[in-house]
Amino acid sequence: MQRKENVLWDRRKILQAKMIPYFFILPAFIVHVSIVTGPAISTLVMSLFDWNGMGGASFIGLDNFIEIFTKDDVVGRAVTNNLKWLMIFITVPIFLGFIIAILISNLKWGQMLFRSIFFLPYVISAAVAGKIWTAYMNPYYGLNIVFEKFGWLKLASTQWLGNPKISLYSVAFVDNWHWWGFVMVLFLGALQQVDQSLYEAAKIDGANRFQEVIHVAIPGIQQTIAFVLIMTIMWSFLTFDYVFIMTNGGPANATEIMSTWIYKNAFTKYRAGYANALCVIQSGICIVLYFLQKYISDKGGMNE
Amino acid sequence: MSKRVKLSTIVLTTIKYIYLYAMLAFASVPLIQVLLNSFRSDREVKVMPIGLPRKWVFNNFIETWTIGGYLQAYSNSFFIGAIVIIAVLTLIGLGAYALSKLRFRLNGFFTAYFFVAISLPGFLYIVPDYFMMNKLGLVNTHWSLILAYIAMQLPFNMLLLRTFLAGIPKELEEAAKIDGCSELQSFLRITLPVAKTMFLTIALLVFVFTWNEYLWANTFITKESLKTVATRFVKFTGEYGSNMARIYTASVLTITPIIVLYLFFSRKFIEGMTSGSVKG
Repeated sequence: MQRKENVLWDRRKILQAKMIPYFFILPAFIVHVSIVTGPAISTLVMSLFDWNGMGGASFIGLDNFIEIFTKDDVVGRAVTNNLKWLMIFITVPIFLGFIIAILISNLKWGQMLFRSIFFLPYVISAAVAGKIWTAYMNPYYGLNIVFEKFGWLKLASTQWLGNPKISLYSVAFVDNWHWWGFVMVLFLGALQQVDQSLYEAAKIDGANRFQEVIHVAIPGIQQTIAFVLIMTIMWSFLTFDYVFIMTNGGPANATEIMSTWIYKNAFTKYRAGYANALCVIQSGICIVLYFLQKYISDKGGMNE
Repeated sequence: MSKRVKLSTIVLTTIKYIYLYAMLAFASVPLIQVLLNSFRSDREVKVMPIGLPRKWVFNNFIETWTIGGYLQAYSNSFFIGAIVIIAVLTLIGLGAYALSKLRFRLNGFFTAYFFVAISLPGFLYIVPDYFMMNKLGLVNTHWSLILAYIAMQLPFNMLLLRTFLAGIPKELEEAAKIDGCSELQSFLRITLPVAKTMFLTIALLVFVFTWNEYLWANTFITKESLKTVATRFVKFTGEYGSNMARIYTASVLTITPIIVLYLFFSRKFIEGMTSGSVKG
């Protein structure tokens, strides 16, 4: 009798011990599933419905997707703008960041200070950075006054955010201002991990600084370069804040991008089903790229 | 020959420093000018948007603080930030402990889950979340935002902490367990104190995120008195757009807490925000 009770008690204890890890992990898991993953799956499902977000939804199969690809003119422009965005961000901040990272990586004094200041725009809210530059780009009270003083009349009369031909580039300029320091710090961190003896070997072989960069630094940080490239492609399709705050897709849809178009469909036109279909396309692109990036960095053995 | 080499080195070094300082100015001058403009009168700012204040004016701050409802916005943002930090640290503290220290059958599944979860873009779930919160009556309360922020911040920080905890020798906790500590006690008494700096880094990252976040805050909260600093600021610039000095002042008021934290913890900011880029 006594023994039987003991066995039972032991069993309960073992069961309890087995359960404990789940008590630790399940709270986070449940919160995340109910707010992120569950709704994300419902986005997939609702993309097949005609739904205004509140009332009844009616199943319409792939009609939303068909509309996106055949009828919606704005989508085409939005994707084009995302691609323009990509072209800008895959070149400008990466060049700026890489050159600065190379220059300060062998700086003996002040490297930390440079790094901290270059990184500063990245920690500031997009809302504030966007509005500060909107003020600077104000056609009457902004930097145009300064250009006028210098006699640069063509620049002084430019409507930086109001001219549909250049507004997208103006916003991209501001996002670059915020973004390039982050890229620089990534490169700098990677450069510091490069084996110093490789540099010394290159020096013995008579390499100059430029050759060192080409033959030692770039191969040494190729994984970070791959990461930055793929992340840039992803973020170029997801970008939202700066465009939304500075132009909200205007003037006349000239700066419309995927995200702002989704936002408008969901929250101003109340076409939630249609917005979901757009989200599916946008997220599909990004998730594929994310796993491509993971695959590349796993291959390099950087992952655990 | 050697003279020519010397000359070219001098030229190159000069170009290098010109470029470095030009970029330094590019990053910092726009922000310094915003600070300076907050001490200038609106007229002065409108006549010339760059330059030093001819006469230092201080009432921009008082006016913007009261008209912009900054006291309320600050307390909203601090409240949301505090709750999200506490919740995130609790949830990931427990979770990352299990993932890094405990052996159980689904460990691999949960780890993989959070890895995949990082990749889910916000636009994939913001629409259903909004309509779900609306149904629950949480839209236009802080709780909708708090819940969304907590969930969004979990995966990345969970994995960040897991990697960190995995580096702490197992013997420490095992010794505690031999001394009769339960799993929870050994977590609280041994792991937590060792991981304090990591918790601080994560708390900073979460705070910066909640303070700066705009899309969700703008979507879930439309009631003026409940808005966070970032969304209230954008509203303010729309309503008082004719007074440029106040826009600059409001910008300063909005970013000051983040800048102050950055001055103290710039290394933690940089390390935290760029971690995961190489290690995944």
